[in-house]
Amino acid sequence: MGIRSFIHRLTAPPIKEHVPAGNYKLAIVVNNALKMKKGKIAAQVGHGAVSATLASSPALLDAWFSSGQAKICLKGDGDEHLLQLKKKAEQSGLPAVKIRDAGRTQIPAGSLTIVAIGPALKEDLETITGDLKLL
Amino acid sequence: MSATDDGPTMVLVTRADLTLSTGKLAAQCAHAAVDCALVAKRSASRLFERWKAGGARKIVLQCDTLEEMKRLYGAAQKANLVTSMIKDAGHTEIPSGTITVIGIGPSPRRSMEALTGELKLVR
Repeated sequence: MGIRSFIHRLTAPPIKEHVPAGNYKLAIVVNNALKMKKGKIAAQVGHGAVSATLASSPALLDAWFSSGQAKICLKGDGDEHLLQLKKKAEQSGLPAVKIRDAGRTQIPAGSLTIVAIGPALKEDLETITGDLKLL
Repeated sequence: MSATDDGPTMVLVTRADLTLSTGKLAAQCAHAAVDCALVAKRSASRLFERWKAGGARKIVLQCDTLEEMKRLYGAAQKANLVTSMIKDAGHTEIPSGTITVIGIGPSPRRSMEALTGELKLVR
């Protein structure tokens, strides 16, 4: 560490953002209408999780890490359904990302494969994804 | 893997000897992918940016046994690649502490090929 960043670390004000305590989860909804195979699904879910992580705020990320980085994979019915879930999540102020596939294998390019919602409080997630089945 | 394209790739290696549901397998792979991505962002940021710009490519492979997986993990560490080993907390399906997935990279395809060229894709 350089001397300047060391001094900065000592003197900088703490990060203000505050997130409520509780159980944080990341919900990953897979587009089940695409009939992807197991390995493909795993890779797409990986995309979704990484995007959600990189898009998330540091405080939220910390809270999620301390709940053990919990992830749940759920079944969605198709493009319409996934987009609807994403919209609903955003309207409730939850972070949401969508993944479109480059289409090198198995499915056409640009297919909507994943919507990842969170990390967010388990209770908040349940209002949006509560009635979805586990993958 | 096509030899013409040397963009950075992340490889997630799963175990063929564990029977996991699709959702479970996917979640475990996601753990490894996030872990590797965050480590790479800190320790190999230029490679990380290149990987992200190239579509954050990920490949899911399988090896036959835990021993093979550990050997691969050791070899990847020796080659100075970003690695991550995921042990399941065991809330569901399998006993706590089971090693489920290792993540390697992002790293250029050529260096990855030497390590994981023999492994099969997960179907």
